Amino acid sequence: MTTTETPRRNDVSASTAMSSAPNPLAVAVRIVKSPHFARLLFPVFLFAVWHITLAAVEQVWPFAVDVLPTPGEVGAFMWDEFITDTLARKNLYETFYISLRRLMSGFAIAMVLGTALGLAMGLSRATNAFCHDWTMAILAMPALAWALFNSIIFGFDDRGPILTVILAGIPFVIVNVREGVRNTPRELFDMARSFKVPQSRIIRHVLVPSLLPFMFAAARYCFSIGWKGLVIAEVFGGQDGAGWTIKFWYDAHRAHGVVGYAAFFVIFAILFERLVFEPISRRAFRWRPQLQTEVVEEAFTENQDLQDQERPVR
Amino acid sequence: MTATQTDISTGEVAAEQRVTEEELARRARQKELTSRWFWRILSYVVVLAVWEFALLDIFSWLRGNPLDPKLLPGPSEVLATFGEIWGEGTMPAAFQATLTRIAVGFGLSFLIGAMVGILMQSKWFEGFFKDAVLISLSAPGLIWVLITAIIFGNRPIGPTIAIILTTFALVTVNVSEGIRALPKDLLDMAKSFKVSLYKRNRQIVIPHLAPYLFTGLRFGFSIAWKVTVLTEVFSSSEGIGFEMRISAVLFDMSEFLTWILAFFFFALFLEKVVLEAIERRYFRWRQAVVAS
Amino acid sequence: MADIKIKNLHKEFGTGDDKVVALEDVNLDISGHSFVSIVGPSGCGKSTLLNILTGIETPTSGTVDITSDGRVAAPGYVFQAARLLPWRTVTDNLLFVQEDRSSETKQRCQRYLEMVQLGDKGDKFPGELSGGMQQRVGIARAFCIEPDVLFMDEPFSHLDAITARALRRELHHMWAETKKMVVFVTHDVGEAVELSNRILVFAKGGRLTDDIGVELPFPRDPSDDEVAVAKAHVLRKFEELDLLAS
Ligand SMILES: Nc1ncnc2c1ncn2[C@@H]1O[C@H](COP(=O)(O)OP(=O)(O)O)[C@@H](O)[C@H]1O
Ligand SMILES: [Mg+2]
Repeated sequence: MTTTETPRRNDVSASTAMSSAPNPLAVAVRIVKSPHFARLLFPVFLFAVWHITLAAVEQVWPFAVDVLPTPGEVGAFMWDEFITDTLARKNLYETFYISLRRLMSGFAIAMVLGTALGLAMGLSRATNAFCHDWTMAILAMPALAWALFNSIIFGFDDRGPILTVILAGIPFVIVNVREGVRNTPRELFDMARSFKVPQSRIIRHVLVPSLLPFMFAAARYCFSIGWKGLVIAEVFGGQDGAGWTIKFWYDAHRAHGVVGYAAFFVIFAILFERLVFEPISRRAFRWRPQLQTEVVEEAFTENQDLQDQERPVR
Repeated sequence: MTATQTDISTGEVAAEQRVTEEELARRARQKELTSRWFWRILSYVVVLAVWEFALLDIFSWLRGNPLDPKLLPGPSEVLATFGEIWGEGTMPAAFQATLTRIAVGFGLSFLIGAMVGILMQSKWFEGFFKDAVLISLSAPGLIWVLITAIIFGNRPIGPTIAIILTTFALVTVNVSEGIRALPKDLLDMAKSFKVSLYKRNRQIVIPHLAPYLFTGLRFGFSIAWKVTVLTEVFSSSEGIGFEMRISAVLFDMSEFLTWILAFFFFALFLEKVVLEAIERRYFRWRQAVVAS
Repeated sequence: MADIKIKNLHKEFGTGDDKVVALEDVNLDISGHSFVSIVGPSGCGKSTLLNILTGIETPTSGTVDITSDGRVAAPGYVFQAARLLPWRTVTDNLLFVQEDRSSETKQRCQRYLEMVQLGDKGDKFPGELSGGMQQRVGIARAFCIEPDVLFMDEPFSHLDAITARALRRELHHMWAETKKMVVFVTHDVGEAVELSNRILVFAKGGRLTDDIGVELPFPRDPSDDEVAVAKAHVLRKFEELDLLAS
């Protein structure tokens, strides 16, 4: 009994000490040690490095770089763009609207075609053997190659960028949907059949929900890779759009324009992820407590691996 | 007595059945394999034939007006161009330039990514680097290429930084996943057997982390070579990307396709053959788990 | 001969609201060539006790001494899941816990592999073995360091009944042959009665509530009347505990 008393009393006294004495130093230490503080510290750190680099470049090695924009310049540029005061042909919103339209067209086509092909490849071994290598080849081909190729074939209109989005995104859709088909829970189908559940209800309540996480992963990757491909396509074969505009600032040799526009790209991608994909994923996968990104990325990792899939059959 | 006898006989029947079942399964596998190779080879024939004979018409139809045949050379022509360029002897130099850039850039990226992954085990550093990793994963590689090109011009440091910024996060994510999954049960086991710290690291921690590092290496490489080629398009006077830009500017599609396909096959060879052979060689124990 | 002396042992995890008391004021002596089983409902601190005895965990308060002829005793540990290094072969797994890789050591490892009937499996990876074989490797690993005390934490609970039964017999022979002290955790009272000459009963909250000697001759057949009676006796203790707890 005595041994159990001592540690307990210690504990109590420790906790009271914590709550009753709001030692400012201790509070400060706790704040500094918190991960949220560290997260906020990162941009500060980034700006500090930026300033130090600027100073070092001016003083120590003036020939190390061509230009280095200051944070002020970039900030001013971004603000001007934000209030649509721009030197480029189209303002920020028009530009991103044009790009988003192309992205959505390509994305929709890639999802439809990719789902059809993925289903076919998941269901038929022959189709899979026929298409597998070419899917992997398209997956491994850099978007740059598609972009240059399409710009030469189609010149400067919407079709080149859209085709680039399709080609960049479709392998991810195919591979994920095929994996989804292969992972359909056979025992649940058998269960449903044993209860004589009608076919339509099986499709709606078993097949679709089991495919959904894979479709969702497909959409997410297709979108993010399509976006990366699109900007490259617009750089090489566009007259407008986000990629064209960053190239415009690049050709005009406005470093703050390039950096500022790049920041818009990042913000666009992250906003889309946060405002579209995360809420959908939260709603659609409520039944799977903490699935979300983890499973999705796992599926991706496995899918990327051609050899792993082949191994069990070989 | 009778009981045992029936036991034995049913045992024999079962064994006989197993043999035939095994044989059947083997035959089915064989048939399956043959059919797979049939479709696979057929796919190569069909795709090459379509490219050689029909693709021009397809693209003309998509465009709405006839496409200049020069803009879409067939596989035979690309092969001929490959022969020419190979004869000129410029290809190895271009490959070497690009590969050097990849090696330097991705080598540094791998080290930095692994270091960040290790640091991110602490909650504080996780908060610190969280946004950096998020940005690196979601930003198009193009922006780093353009930013470094405009800041550094033709200096070799530009591509290096661009490669690091696009690929380090892939390594980081894999490393921190590996560390998070460290097998505590094995480490406890080693502790209970009083195994030395050195041996614990050498025999448990490193073999456990190796496949994660390797995955990071493979993913990172597949992205790294693409970014490298992209940087060469903008800020370099040698390498595959540079050659691609020249041929695209001259509208010489045959050369363009030759360059990109040559490097594509080379990178694919590294990724799928070399790296996977290494993986199979060093991670035999994983296959054992897969097989069982 | 090994000696285990546990005095006022107390162990808790976490602080504040998350605090869990895993062991409370445990006092215990074990000595000689005994086979001691620890039984109790899950979560009563059995694994924690073994982890403390083998040095994986440290006690919150109280002392634990394991000696053998006056020096610190070497423990061998068999876990519930075999805990083999998947990237090392069976032989290398045994060598991993050895101090050296001399040919003498290798021979000893081989001998223990043969004792668990895996003499020909030294070059296999754990992933190529069945669950029962993996567990036997775990047992060979614990024996091959020639420990003074063998700790086993529900070693057979993952196995099918037939494999478990065969392994229990093997274990009994090895215990009888090598004259080691064995501390064996299980939640299967039948298993405890079949194997041990002393049974310790733990209750929720990590209290040692009963210490029962089992003086029956070996080998014990579970269908034997005397063994069944002994088992019923221990089970009754469990029921009493349940009544006390509710
Ligand atoms: N590392 C740990 N951290 C926190 N709690 C633990 C830890 N290990 C065990 N516990 C808790 O201690 C209690 C006893 O656990 P354990 O010894 O594993 O029980 P069992 O008798 O089933 O082996 C349980 O309530 C468990 O939740
Ligand atoms: Mg336990």
